[in-house]
Amino acid sequence: MNFRTETIAGNVAAIRADGRLNMVSAPLLREVVSAAITAGTVRIVVDLSGVDFMDSSGLGALIGGLKVARQAGGDLRIAGATPQVALVFELTHLDRILQNHATAETAYRD
Amino acid sequence: MTDSDTTLALSTPPDDIDTVQDFVQRVLEHHTDIVDIDRFAFETALVELASNVIQHAAAGTGITCVLSIHADDHELSARISDTGTAGAVTLSGPALPEDLAESGRGLALIQMLVDSVHFERTGDRNVWTISRARHPLP
Repeated sequence: MNFRTETIAGNVAAIRADGRLNMVSAPLLREVVSAAITAGTVRIVVDLSGVDFMDSSGLGALIGGLKVARQAGGDLRIAGATPQVALVFELTHLDRILQNHATAETAYRD
Repeated sequence: MTDSDTTLALSTPPDDIDTVQDFVQRVLEHHTDIVDIDRFAFETALVELASNVIQHAAAGTGITCVLSIHADDHELSARISDTGTAGAVTLSGPALPEDLAESGRGLALIQMLVDSVHFERTGDRNVWTISRARHPLP
């Protein structure tokens, strides 16, 4: 699993993730989100289009990131959820809290 | 599809959850007729269960663990046996924590993804079994 962070239009930090978001990689995602916020970008989108698998520790890291972003006056959104990732969101009802957007670029278009 | 039984023995560390998932995927890819929802559900449940075993049973010292997967035309099932300390496991219906909780969803998720989850302490080992009925072949 690796994460790349880039700033996209609207002063949004897009974190692109690839691989499995599990108990090994979830702590790293928490750090990457915190680093973006510490660097001053509080609007975060996690692009999950390269994540072929996510478990409950991945969910926990996203919820943790959402809380940190909101505390900083920002938000965390998700984009590009693949079918397995969407299933996990749906079963845990967290699709109500973190709605999926088609792409990182459209996540803050509201 | 023919019946298959495949077993992995692992020690943590250095093995970790990626070792488990690589194994699960290798086993399931031999069964090309498993529909996506069955594959996603079973793989996710098994990774959740193995993560739980690695995380909670290790108590800082590492564990050895034996994982067996059985697949046939009707069912996918798995058994995980580990040397971790005895866990206080309560299996009631799936109960999710509050929306903004950052943990506590694993066991509930497992129960939603498979048809049966069973835990027992046998001698000095914790033994988990899960099974999911497959969608009928077209």
